[in-house]
Amino acid sequence: MSNFSLNIHIRTLFLAVGALTIALLGSGCDHDTDVFDGPSLVDRFGEFELLEPLGIDRATVDFSAGESVTFTARFNKRIDWVLVITGTESGAVKRIEGFENELSADNARWLGGTTELPLFKNELCMVELIIPEEDSLTMTGEVTIVGAKIYDGAVYADFETDAGSNIFVGNFEFELTPASGRTNSIAAGQGDYCWFFQGTDNVVSNFFVGLIDIQAAVTGETYAPVPTTVPEDLYFNCMVYSDGGLYGLAVLQLIYDSNDSGAFEDGQDQVFALPDIALDFEGWRLFSFQVGELGLSEQQLSKIVNIRALLISQMNLQPNPPLQVDYALDYLIFTAGGPLEL
Amino acid sequence: MSRTIHHHLYLLAGGFLLLFSNGLFAQDQGAEEEKKIRFNGLGRTFLQNTEIGGEILNNDSTTVRSLTDGEFLLDLAVNATPNDQTEVQTILRLRNEFGGFFGAGVTVEVRELWAKGIIANVLKYRVGDMDHAMTPYTLYLPEEEGMVNEPEIFRPQKEVIYYEQFYTEGNRRRLQGAKLDFGLAFGQGLREAEVSGFIARIRGTDFFTTPSRFVGGGRIGLLSQNFGASTRAKLGLNLIHTWDDLQSGEANNGIRNLVYTADFDLRIFEKENLALHLTGETGQSSLEFKEDSLSVFDESDSFLEVGATLKLKKHGLDLSAGFVDVGPDFFSTGAQSKRIDFDREKTYYQRIGNDRQLRMPTLFDLGRDRALYTYQLSDRLMPYDPRYSNTQPYGQATPNRRGLRLGARYASPKKGWDARLDAGLMKEIRGQGTFELKDFLLVRALANLNFDQMAEWEKQLRLTLGLQYEQTQRGGLPIEEVDLSSTLIEAGLQAELFTRFDLLLGLKFLTASGNDYIPLIEEFNDVKDFPEAYVVDDTETLLGGGFRYRFKEGIYLTLQYQRFDFSRATDPAHDYRFSQFFVLYNMNF
Repeated sequence: MSNFSLNIHIRTLFLAVGALTIALLGSGCDHDTDVFDGPSLVDRFGEFELLEPLGIDRATVDFSAGESVTFTARFNKRIDWVLVITGTESGAVKRIEGFENELSADNARWLGGTTELPLFKNELCMVELIIPEEDSLTMTGEVTIVGAKIYDGAVYADFETDAGSNIFVGNFEFELTPASGRTNSIAAGQGDYCWFFQGTDNVVSNFFVGLIDIQAAVTGETYAPVPTTVPEDLYFNCMVYSDGGLYGLAVLQLIYDSNDSGAFEDGQDQVFALPDIALDFEGWRLFSFQVGELGLSEQQLSKIVNIRALLISQMNLQPNPPLQVDYALDYLIFTAGGPLEL
Repeated sequence: MSRTIHHHLYLLAGGFLLLFSNGLFAQDQGAEEEKKIRFNGLGRTFLQNTEIGGEILNNDSTTVRSLTDGEFLLDLAVNATPNDQTEVQTILRLRNEFGGFFGAGVTVEVRELWAKGIIANVLKYRVGDMDHAMTPYTLYLPEEEGMVNEPEIFRPQKEVIYYEQFYTEGNRRRLQGAKLDFGLAFGQGLREAEVSGFIARIRGTDFFTTPSRFVGGGRIGLLSQNFGASTRAKLGLNLIHTWDDLQSGEANNGIRNLVYTADFDLRIFEKENLALHLTGETGQSSLEFKEDSLSVFDESDSFLEVGATLKLKKHGLDLSAGFVDVGPDFFSTGAQSKRIDFDREKTYYQRIGNDRQLRMPTLFDLGRDRALYTYQLSDRLMPYDPRYSNTQPYGQATPNRRGLRLGARYASPKKGWDARLDAGLMKEIRGQGTFELKDFLLVRALANLNFDQMAEWEKQLRLTLGLQYEQTQRGGLPIEEVDLSSTLIEAGLQAELFTRFDLLLGLKFLTASGNDYIPLIEEFNDVKDFPEAYVVDDTETLLGGGFRYRFKEGIYLTLQYQRFDFSRATDPAHDYRFSQFFVLYNMNF
C-alpha cells in the first residue's frame, strides 16, 4: 500500500471518528427530565392540609338503574386515604383505598359493590373518609341506596321468597334444630333472607346432620339457567355464613339430570360434588367454583336439576358428646367468565 | 472454611512456584548469570490503642473505654523471569493479629498471583491479578472523600489502607482476569495505535441464585502525526461491558451494563512557553436487568465532557476550563463504584452509648479503618456522606450533573512550592423528589510549601495545606429547600529535626451545617426513598502529632498521638472523642 493511500485511509478514519464524536456531542445533553427521581418530597415530608373536605355527589342512588356515587376531596399532598361505606341495616362494607392528593371519579367512584359481605341492600349508608397518617382524621357523610346493585349472572336461589316444595329438607335423623330453615334472624348475605342449618350429630353418629335439595324448579325453569354453557367459563358462586365453630363442614353438590326425566331423582341422577367448605371462619364469605373443574360437560351443565347442600359434623374432630354445628347459605348464582365480582 | 481456602491457595501457590522454580534453576545451571528469581515485599507491624470519651459516655456502662489492636504482617513477593518473555509473581502473606498466641489468629494466604509476558515481541499479555484503568467514565477508581491534601502524619495509615485495598497510582482498579495489548507504529498520518483488551471475573457464583459476574472491555488509542507545526490529535475509543453469566448456578436474573465512549486530546499548538489542548470525552451507557432472558429494567443515558487546558510553561501555570454533562441515568459500574462504602461495618466502636447508637463514619474512621474501603465494583450507586462530598460523590462520572469545571495548577520553577485550585459549578439535570434542581459549588485548593528548598536547607521542612468548600442549595417550597455547606481544612507540617528523624504535625477540621435529602438507592441508580430529612450541624477535629524515623526509602518507624473530636450541635448529648496512640513499622524490601 502506498503512503498516499495509507494517508487517505487514516484521514478517513479520523473523519469518521470525528463525525461520530460530533454526533455523540450533539446527543450528549439530551436526557429524560419529564419526571423526577424518587417519591415527592412534599408527599414524603410536607405538612398535610385539607383543601376540600369530603363531598358526595348525590344523596340517593339507584345502582340497579346504573347510577353511581362519586366522592370528592382534595389535599395539598399525595397521602394514603381510606373511604369506608357501611350499610346501616345490612352491615355491608365497601372500602376504597388510594394514595393520591385528590378523590375524584377516577379513584373514588362507587358502583354499589361491596368489599366485605353481606351485599348492600336498599338502605342508608354511612360514609367515612379516613386519613390514617393524620391521626386517623375522619370526615363523614351519608348516601341512601334506593336500588341495590344487580349483579351479572343467573341467580339460582336467594331465599327471599318461600320456595315451598321446591326446597326439600332432609332431616332424616332428626338432628336439625327447629331454628333450621329459611330465616331473617341473622343478617342475610344478600337481601333479607337466607337458609340456616343448625344441628348436632348425636342421634346417628355418621357425620351427617341434615340436607336440603334446592330443585331447579325454584328458578321457574326445569333446569338451572346458566349464563354460558362453556364449562371453563361457568362459575358457581354461593355465600356461606359461619360462626367460626371448629367442627362443621358445608358440602354442596350440583346434580345433573342423567336420566333426562326433567326432575330430580335421588340415587339416579349424577352428583358432582364441590370441594368441602370448612366452617372455621366468621361471618359471610363468597365461595366460587369453576364448573368445568368439577367435571361437568357442556351438555351436563345445561341440565342441572338440583343443588344439594349438606351440613356435616366432623366427628373425627368432635369432642364427646359432640357439639352443635351450623351455617347459613345465601345467593346461589351462576356467573360467566369468572367468579362473582362483588 | 476460610482456613481451608487459604490452605488450598497456599498449595496452589506453592505448586505454581515449584513449577517455575524447576525451570528456573535448570536455566541457572546454564551460562546465564543474571538473577532469575527475586524476593521482595513488605513487612509491617502496627499497634494502636484507641480510647473513647465524651458526652455520649455519661452514664454509659456498655461501651468499652479502650481498645487495642494491631497486626504483624509479612508479604513475601516472589518474582521470577523464566525467560526474557515471561514474568511471574506471587505474594504470600503471613499475618498475625495482635493478641494471637502460638498460631491462633495466624493466617497464611496468597495475596497476589500473576504472570505476564510478550508473545512474538508484539502482543503483551497478563493473567491473574492485575490493575487496570481506562477513562473516568469507563473503568476508573475515583479518589475517596474526606481528603484534599493529606497531611504527612496521616499518610502512613492511609498507605496501609491503599496497600490493603490494592489502590495504586493512576486510579486503577484491581481485577482478576486477563488482558492483552499491543501497539502499532505508522509512518504517515497516524503515528501510533494502541489496542488493549481485558476480561475479568469480579464475582463468583454461589451456585444458587447469584450468577458469576464478568467485566470486559477494550480501548483503541490513536495518535496522529503532527499537523502543521505542533497540532496533534489523540483519540480513544473505549468500551466496557459488565454482565452476569446466567448459565452459572441456578441464577435466572442478572445485569448487563454497557458503556462506550470516545475521548480525545487535541493539541492545538505547543510552543516553548505555551501550549493549548482541547480535551473531552463523550459516550453512552445502557443498563439492563434480565429475568429469564426477559428484560425487566432497561435504561440508557449519555454524558459529555469537553474542555480546554492552557499551559503557561514559563510561569509553571496550567489553566483549564470545561463543560460537563452527565445524564441522570448514566450508569457505569466500572467508573462509579466508590472506594468508601459508608454502609460497611467498622472494626471498632460500631455502636456507642447506652442506646447502642450506630456511629456514622468520620474523618477519623476514613483515615484508620480499612474495613470501610473496598475495591469491588458495585451494581448500585453506593451510599455517600454529603458532608464530605455532595457535588461529585461518584467522581467525574457522578450522574445527574451539568456545569462547569475550572482549574489552575502552579508549580514554582525551583520546586519551592506548588498549588492547585479546582472549582465546580454544577446543577442537577433531573430533580430528586421535586422538579426543583440542586445547585452545587465545589472549591478545592491545596498548596505545598517546601521551605527547605526555598531556603536551600539540608533538612526537610514542609508545610501542606488543603481546603475544600462545598455548598448545595435548592429552592422551591419550604419542604423542598436544601441548604448545606461544608468546609474541610487540612494542614500538615513535616520537619526533619535530625537526619531522617521527622517531627510530624497535622490537622483535619470539618464543619458541615444545613439540610439536604439523601436518596436511598436499593438497586442500580433508582431512588427508592428519602428516609429522612438530613439535618446536620457537625464539627470534626482531628489533630495528630508524632515522630518518624526513616531508616531508608520505604522503611520507617512512626510513633503518633491522634485526638479526634466529634460534635453535633443538634445533638450535643452524643458528642464523643477518640484518643489514639499509634506505632507503625513499615518496611518495603
